[in-house]
Amino acid sequence: MIETIPASRCPRCGFVAAPPAPFCPRHAVSMTPTAVAGVGEIVSFTTLHSPPEGFRSPLHIALIALEGGARFVCHGSQTRGVRIGSRVAIEAIDDVYYFSSLSALDRARMFWRRTGRAGDRVNAMTRSVVKRIFRGGSSAASQ
Amino acid sequence: MDVWIAGAGMTHIGRRAESLQRLMAAAAHAALADAGVERPDAIVVAAMNPEEFVGDGNFASNVTTHMGFAEVPAIRIETATSSGAAAFYAGVAQVAAGLARRVLVVGGEKMTHLPTPRVSELIGRSIDPYERSYGATMPALAGLITRALMTRHGVGEREIGQVAVKNHANAARNPYAHFREPVTLEQVMASRMVADPLRLLHCCPISDGAAAVLVTAERAPVRVAGIGQGTDTLAVRHRHELTSFRATQMAARAAFAMAGFGPARVDFAELHDAFTPFELIALEDIGLVPPGKAARATLDGETALDGRLPINPSGGLKARGHPLAATGVAQIVECVWQLTGRAEGRQVSGRVALAHSIGGLATNNWVTLLQGA
Repeated sequence: MIETIPASRCPRCGFVAAPPAPFCPRHAVSMTPTAVAGVGEIVSFTTLHSPPEGFRSPLHIALIALEGGARFVCHGSQTRGVRIGSRVAIEAIDDVYYFSSLSALDRARMFWRRTGRAGDRVNAMTRSVVKRIFRGGSSAASQ
Repeated sequence: MDVWIAGAGMTHIGRRAESLQRLMAAAAHAALADAGVERPDAIVVAAMNPEEFVGDGNFASNVTTHMGFAEVPAIRIETATSSGAAAFYAGVAQVAAGLARRVLVVGGEKMTHLPTPRVSELIGRSIDPYERSYGATMPALAGLITRALMTRHGVGEREIGQVAVKNHANAARNPYAHFREPVTLEQVMASRMVADPLRLLHCCPISDGAAAVLVTAERAPVRVAGIGQGTDTLAVRHRHELTSFRATQMAARAAFAMAGFGPARVDFAELHDAFTPFELIALEDIGLVPPGKAARATLDGETALDGRLPINPSGGLKARGHPLAATGVAQIVECVWQLTGRAEGRQVSGRVALAHSIGGLATNNWVTLLQGA
């Protein structure tokens, strides 16, 4: 299941903050509520071996560039096979966000789910996934 | 109006038994004695979080009373880990504006008496609350930045390790430093993982200490040529760039514009290497080396004590130590001692020095340019 993550957009510069913020960090204007689909690319990740109090070791933390434009910080249950640039889906478990690798099955499911809870955003996301699959396919064919 | 530095002083950095007030008094009295000034016109105090670290508030009055200056006007400045540099700016501004002729700037912090997790938590409060709620600490965010730097910019384990080796070697020659023992690249690369790919010996220690300078309107051996501040979003996720710091770039631009010269004129620098990859990032953000060349320059020894451009002759935050609000002032002290030929055992030659201080996770940074006679 692809999460819809609450966010906010700056009417001045278009910057998207997730989770939502009352004001744009760079402009003193109120942000407009919006939402972004919980899919994106890993910008970076780390593993803490002595995390702060209240967290279990090892603690995986990732910075994700969501397709809706926002960058997002979340946890991961593991980082095996994860790389910078890996495509991931965000999932909320008990109100805490986790990333997980996007499997072929997930991609197929997203392809068919043209109208989901997130409406247009899912369509936009689907288009991008289709583009990616198409690109991947053509490069594989050309080899 | 030209502003000068007439005196500099600091305590040994490390694990100190004395109170914070005692340390700051020692540094302040040393700077005043060095300047031959008995009593300053005003005092600017830097302490990042004395309320939590030592339990004292109203800290400008608290510490100036302790050091015998209860009747001298005093203010406290705070910009997280760059508080010392910000206090220096405030002191310079007072003199430049003609509000005071001789201003004492003193920064200090005391933390080693608290358990390490408590200290990390207190320092971590300068991080965006949402990111903190996911367990982000300073090393965690630095780990994210380091992995991106290593993956996207071809910086390797050897390069980020070499910064630690170099800075420990410098600190071994600095009697004021927290660490006096050199480390090998093998030791750095075998030290325990803190925030993958950052290891323990890539990170600065928790230190106590204080540093002070006297800034004045009267001609003295060191002139403040330029000073610039740069800022960025509190949340790292709100930034467009992860592997360079806008706050450093902005501060450097402002400082060079004020000085009327460019990075090519800088002879040596004290850079904010709280995590060793940050020294590489700062070298490029400030323009001391061309983009993409910091790692190579470090491996080639260009930034070593006997290199073309010595970086962190004091040992840097990495090995001199990082007593938070003292650090920004301690960098200025090191530059003054170097420019006036008093950096015994680690003396470099040069007329123009640069100091760079990072506040928080690069949210409030400073670049200061000093010129010797």
